[in-house]
Amino acid sequence: MSLPIAVPSSKRPAATNSCRVCAPLGSVLAFRGLRGCMPLIHGSQGCATYIRRYLISHFREPMDVASTSFDESATIFGGQSNLAAAIKNLVRQYSPEVIGVCTTCLAETIGEDTVGILREITTADPDLPPIIHVATPSFKGCQYRGFHDTVEAILRATARGGERLPHVNLLPGPVSPADLRHLREIVAAFDLPLLMLPDYSETLDGPSLASYAPIPEGGTPLAEVADAGRATGTLQLGATLADGPGAYLEREHGVPLVKASLPIGVRATDAVLESLAAFAMESAAGTSASAPITPAWLSAERGRLVDAYVDGHKYVSGKRVAVVGDPDLAVGVAGFCAEIGLVPVLVASGALTHRMATALDLLGLAPGSFEVMEDADYDSIGRRVAELKPDLILGPSKAYPTSRALGIPLVRIGFPVHDRIGAGRILHLGYRGTQRLFDEVANALLDHQQDSSEMGYAYQ
Amino acid sequence: MRKIAIYGKGGIGKSTTTQNTVAGLAEWGKKVMVVGCDPKADSTRLLLGGLAQKTVLDTLRDEGEDVELDEILKPGYAKTKCVESGGPEPGVGCAGRGIITSINMLEQLGAYTPDLDYTFYDVLGDVVCGGFAMPIRDGKAEEIYIVVSGEMMAMYAANNICKGIVKFAQSGKVRLGGLICNSRKCDNEKELIEALAEKLGTQMIHFVPRDNVVQHAELNRKTVIEYAPEAAQADEYRTLARKIDANKMFVIPTPLTMEDLEDLLVKYGLAA
Repeated sequence: MSLPIAVPSSKRPAATNSCRVCAPLGSVLAFRGLRGCMPLIHGSQGCATYIRRYLISHFREPMDVASTSFDESATIFGGQSNLAAAIKNLVRQYSPEVIGVCTTCLAETIGEDTVGILREITTADPDLPPIIHVATPSFKGCQYRGFHDTVEAILRATARGGERLPHVNLLPGPVSPADLRHLREIVAAFDLPLLMLPDYSETLDGPSLASYAPIPEGGTPLAEVADAGRATGTLQLGATLADGPGAYLEREHGVPLVKASLPIGVRATDAVLESLAAFAMESAAGTSASAPITPAWLSAERGRLVDAYVDGHKYVSGKRVAVVGDPDLAVGVAGFCAEIGLVPVLVASGALTHRMATALDLLGLAPGSFEVMEDADYDSIGRRVAELKPDLILGPSKAYPTSRALGIPLVRIGFPVHDRIGAGRILHLGYRGTQRLFDEVANALLDHQQDSSEMGYAYQ
Repeated sequence: MRKIAIYGKGGIGKSTTTQNTVAGLAEWGKKVMVVGCDPKADSTRLLLGGLAQKTVLDTLRDEGEDVELDEILKPGYAKTKCVESGGPEPGVGCAGRGIITSINMLEQLGAYTPDLDYTFYDVLGDVVCGGFAMPIRDGKAEEIYIVVSGEMMAMYAANNICKGIVKFAQSGKVRLGGLICNSRKCDNEKELIEALAEKLGTQMIHFVPRDNVVQHAELNRKTVIEYAPEAAQADEYRTLARKIDANKMFVIPTPLTMEDLEDLLVKYGLAA
């Protein structure tokens, strides 16, 4: 790749090899983490097909997503009858516990009054399952925004206040099913009752079934989400979220909010565990339970991780890396890289948060030692990587063409990972996820060294 | 065939002026089609003797895409052909897309026959939506006349429409043919609009005085030319029709800044 200069996003006439996908995709992902939820996309039909195809290529799971399928007349006259018909069909064919309605750019552009239409539909038929609506115009944000807006919409529609309950709300952000399972395990280790939203750890990484289940098992029940307004506290993961859905719960229901970076690396995981310990203390206050201590297995995992850092330091120290991904994941992984002595030179995301640089500063990365690209596409990322010549790229599969063209190894993280098996099982979080990442990073560097050595390699 | 679009601020008298001008041309033997591009669908009312017409979009909504031309194209005064694009109910959907769809449908159905001397598009409001710009964007209309009065907001809208014309003139054939002053009896109105026309690089093609006979004709669902052919106002519209027929001055306008526009208004409006 001999392309000279990275073009700033504001000067680009168009995105080339986009680094982001659309807002309703993030919305569908979040809705998939509600039990018995059927996502319905209001607008043109291709949007639903694209989202299904994209999610299937990553998760390799069945992905039913309904569409109100606008045609020309729905575009001109509004899609009211389409939406009514779609809900009727959905209820008949899927019997969902809840319907999640998000919107395409087309519905948003014609100014569709989706809220008003849904009010009419639900008033006319009180027996319908709950319907949660979120506006997801992709000209306003990408999958990252769509995901968080949907979590907030679910909370707004469902959470009720009242007397405090002992559980903690965990808002994990768009992480992998394996991450969600591990977070559940960690919180359980503190004897904390947990309400995690969303939870697609089973719905998007389920078993093989003899007969097809139109709506897969798993997910957070809506009835439990109702208690989100009564939690001991909310732990919201994601360093680049300005307020996020957790701020809504704090504002509306007085649920104390703790924001944390994704637990990737020793420091970031320590911080999350400390927050959980504090919640556990708060939750157990007034009971006879003893003060929570970090569970032994977590301490053991931490010990092994630090040992691995020591063992592998000579292979990773001083190596330069580029990180690409959802803003929170990119920031979290860059923080981990800095912790193990890798030098992040470029941290890039397709999303636009204006907060990545600040979040990286807070994680202790020396300002000026790295570049941040927000609102980036893979063309400009590729050009900048070609100039910076890092030793390693951490990013989704869409970074592979850059990796291949420049001969720089790629460690696959985040979304989408569609050219490998097991994307849903990539664990990024906790000491365990960090351990896996560390081993992979060190081995990718070793691999590359061995493969490109003229001497070859043999163990003597 | 001359392809003409009439733009102007809402309520300025676009539809009245268009229909009376068309009546003037038709009375004179010209073959004219009028395409109303307003969801209110009142652009052909005077030619048809009432809101007798089912719109293109209503037809599309009720009958799907199997629309016959004679369902949407109705004969009006002096063999004029009348079409209303129509639109969604207020507050719903996208009227702009409706205009695009209905003009495309007219083309597919062969409404633009070679025997036509004129097609007039009567377009709602400003050129602030891609759909309402469609007649001038895609070369459906090549001559624009802007109906204006001496009122500030009417002139502001006219200036804004000129900005739209400039935009599309660079890539297409659309040109401004002139301003039609539909008098509101403002101070120094004729001089003001002539001065505005000069600044825009165009002409005031005609000054249509205010006359109550227009109101009477409207209440009788007729153009003035049909309702009161002998009235002086009927001759005004006939004159406008002949001036448009003879017009050779087609320009890319030079829109004013807001400050220049206000200065102009102060200069003429307060000079009385």
